[in-house]
Amino acid sequence: MANTKTDEKLQKIAKDLLESGEVSLVIGYAKGSNLQRMRPVFITKAEDAGKLSFSPHAVQDLAVFLKKPEVKKFGKIGIVVKGCDEKAVNALIQEYQISRDNIKIIGMECNGVIRQNIADKGETNVSESAVYDKCLICEEHIPVLYDFLIESEEPKLVLSGNVKPYSGIEKLESMSAEEKNAFWAKEFDKCIKCYACRQACPLCYCSRCIVEKNMPQWIDTNSEETGNAQWNLIRAYHLSGRCIGCGECERACPVNIPLMLINEKMAKDVYNLFGYKSGLDINAKPVFGVFSESDFNDFIK
Amino acid sequence: MSRIGVFVCWCGSNIAGTVDVEKVREEAAKIPGVVSALDYKYMCSDPGQNSLRNIIKEKNLTGIVLAACSPHMHENTFRKAAAKEGLNPYFVEIANIREQVSWVHEDKERATAKAVDLMKMMVEKVKRDRPIEDVRVPLNKKALVIGGGIAGIQAALDIANGGVEVILVEKEPSIGGRMIQLDETFPTLDCSSCIMTPKMVEANQHPNIKLYTYSEVEDISGYIGNFKVKIKKKARSVVEKDCTGCGECWNACPMHKNVKSEFNVNLSERTAIYVPFPQAVPLVPVLDRSVCLHFKKGGKCQKCYDACGPKCINFDLQDEIIEETVGAIVASTGYDLMDTSMYGEYGYGKYKDVISGLQFERLLSASGPTEGVIKRPSDGKTPQTIVFVQCVGSRDPEKGVPYCSKVCCMYTAKHAKLFAHKVHGSQSYVFYIDIRSTSKGYEEFVRGTMEQDGAIYLRGRVSKIYEDEGKLIVKGADTLSGNQVEIAADMVVLATGVIPKKGSDKLAQMLGISYDKYGFFTESHPKLRPAESSTAGIFLAGMAQGPRDIPESVVSGSAAASKILGLFSKNEYEVEGTIANVNEATCVACFYCQRVCAYNAISKKEIKDRSGKLIKVVANVNPGLCTGCGACVNACFSKSIDVKGFMDDQIYAEIKALAV
Repeated sequence: MANTKTDEKLQKIAKDLLESGEVSLVIGYAKGSNLQRMRPVFITKAEDAGKLSFSPHAVQDLAVFLKKPEVKKFGKIGIVVKGCDEKAVNALIQEYQISRDNIKIIGMECNGVIRQNIADKGETNVSESAVYDKCLICEEHIPVLYDFLIESEEPKLVLSGNVKPYSGIEKLESMSAEEKNAFWAKEFDKCIKCYACRQACPLCYCSRCIVEKNMPQWIDTNSEETGNAQWNLIRAYHLSGRCIGCGECERACPVNIPLMLINEKMAKDVYNLFGYKSGLDINAKPVFGVFSESDFNDFIK
Repeated sequence: MSRIGVFVCWCGSNIAGTVDVEKVREEAAKIPGVVSALDYKYMCSDPGQNSLRNIIKEKNLTGIVLAACSPHMHENTFRKAAAKEGLNPYFVEIANIREQVSWVHEDKERATAKAVDLMKMMVEKVKRDRPIEDVRVPLNKKALVIGGGIAGIQAALDIANGGVEVILVEKEPSIGGRMIQLDETFPTLDCSSCIMTPKMVEANQHPNIKLYTYSEVEDISGYIGNFKVKIKKKARSVVEKDCTGCGECWNACPMHKNVKSEFNVNLSERTAIYVPFPQAVPLVPVLDRSVCLHFKKGGKCQKCYDACGPKCINFDLQDEIIEETVGAIVASTGYDLMDTSMYGEYGYGKYKDVISGLQFERLLSASGPTEGVIKRPSDGKTPQTIVFVQCVGSRDPEKGVPYCSKVCCMYTAKHAKLFAHKVHGSQSYVFYIDIRSTSKGYEEFVRGTMEQDGAIYLRGRVSKIYEDEGKLIVKGADTLSGNQVEIAADMVVLATGVIPKKGSDKLAQMLGISYDKYGFFTESHPKLRPAESSTAGIFLAGMAQGPRDIPESVVSGSAAASKILGLFSKNEYEVEGTIANVNEATCVACFYCQRVCAYNAISKKEIKDRSGKLIKVVANVNPGLCTGCGACVNACFSKSIDVKGFMDDQIYAEIKALAV
């Protein structure tokens, strides 16, 4: 398939960045094994910039690579991001994992990415029923921070309101504690402790994850009820107020645990309680690291 | 292999009355690693401590658990006893079976079971204790006193007389604070300025005291022994070292009679260039740029400059920032009076002759606006009848503050007495709720005001004050006779409530000390550590802590000074070794620990290889600032911070001990 105008713009920016030496690596998308698949690509030479491409199949959050030591060693890096992924870049800057000076953000206007299972059946059009839930609630079709912006050639996403994103949250909220427990026990029962959710998450960057800490071993590593619940709850808790909602954990999960229900519920609660949304401002103080006299304290009886 | 000794204390019947101490001892003896278990009536007594020391020796113990009272009480006692036998003092753990068990439970069986659990947890903890060394922080033997009222001056003088350098910072153009505004002082009626000015002069001339007036503390960082202080010396527009205090400048100032005198509480006027009062220390005027014509009208007026003999007026002087390093700080920022105008029914601010107690002090003062003759602000006539209203704002949770301002009962009695002395044949009425006169000579003083000076005391509140034909009609209740009272007065004096100095909360935040909901600084312990703030190295004095009278303020100033002299008698300050500790291998430098640290104890540390190349950045704990609170431990996602003595594996072992 020929280059689109978007691809050409993208390739030009990457080529210039690499040629001028402003960056020594550009992380972006290349065409995949079939038309409905995009794959991450790492461009270090200007002449390879032609591999870069972008389409509604660019589902991956490439910010995940920024935490890798083998990527970090390139120093100055250019990265192709959608609005959602870019929030991860911001959160990483907020948490001192990368420096704003070392990153060139190539922001892509995005009207939604198509669910992989639907794309695999041949769907190439962005529509309400084809995109991920995160796209339906997206408020950052244009990234909040960028050095370059490439506008979309795709038609805008039209929302009829018939598809309710994250409808599971409302269902969960109406459940009793026992019902919720039963629901999650069933879901977590599927967990095989592969930690794909962690590996796919751009904000799970600890070099030693808490689950790998032994002496003492706070979290059971075996894949059974207690250990599974411990892992999934601590993962969610460590991301509360931090998760930017890219959905990569859920996409990576081989046993289809609805992780975004937890993530979005946490994000919703954090917003309602503290008025904070993650990844919107590199100068904001992350909610986890802030305490003030006006914090609610109804839980102190 | 652990060799643990468990000591179960009866605390007389305090513990033994509710907890089966023998059972706790028996259970302890069963735990692997426990080589000695003992119960005793009072472990903290000399024989108790001796038996502990003997068993350490005999059984060659590696750790000790005391099932006893709160570690707040005797942890130190037992640590010292253990240290005498060569055991690291941090190998002593306390299971609190008094405050957390016997005092809060009634059912002996269940209380005993809980006591056993707590003891077991501590046995597992002590098995995992590592030796901890206390941290030694070097001390800069210099002190900062913030606020030059009587408390601050007393603190500064005592510290300076102890041979230690002091920096005394005062916001106003002169030191002296509130006390120098007062006329005569209860209960001895000695003149306030007569006893205050010698202290002010002494502070100014003391070789160990560096005085910064018209200056404010701008920023404070650091910790005990090593506080970095930035002091803003506001532009005075007068070169202090050249000024002779002759007064030619303020006499020449055309802004005469235009600016209300703060010192005289708006009862007189001052010029733009002024000294607040004739005995000001230093006797160097300040040019108030907010009202000076030179600054307001483009630099034309320079009458003060023309009049000045030594030409020490300099309109171009700028604010100066002075940086100092000190080892200890006294916060003595004093108080303000509540804004009484919110009591609309009393007409303060509406009727000129309704004044505050502090204004009445100025009317009484020989150096005041009326040179000590009591005159009504409205027409300058001498009042024949004055109504004094106590508890205006104080003890009034609805509109004011719930606390008692403490000094009003006494100064009102003094006001009524001095009024009787100065205006013969006059009559005063005092509305009060209760009379609080508990210090030496106070009750006799109030009695004297009633019995010798004829003041009529009415127990009740005033409901309304209004003006009628040149008189102030005061309506109130006399609850003792059950009658409504109406008095036609020439003047009304309101005993206004005391509140912390404006901005003291900001200062407290800068200092990192705690304050109560009103803004008064809180003591480290209200009874046993009344001079210490919640932060090591910062001490408190005077009304900034709460309402108190002059002798109490002086005592508190001296107390703070003696604490500082005691601290400075050593070259180093020992900080408990139970502070945070970073695992640099696993730290990913997200610095949530730094964000949540209330003590600014965490900084960034670069780890470099031998060639100087940066390997990684990690969190670093400043032992002088860390209090071991553990907030960072909670914030660390990768569990890369522990607090020594409360290590992760110890907490885990404690929990596990409960499960079996």
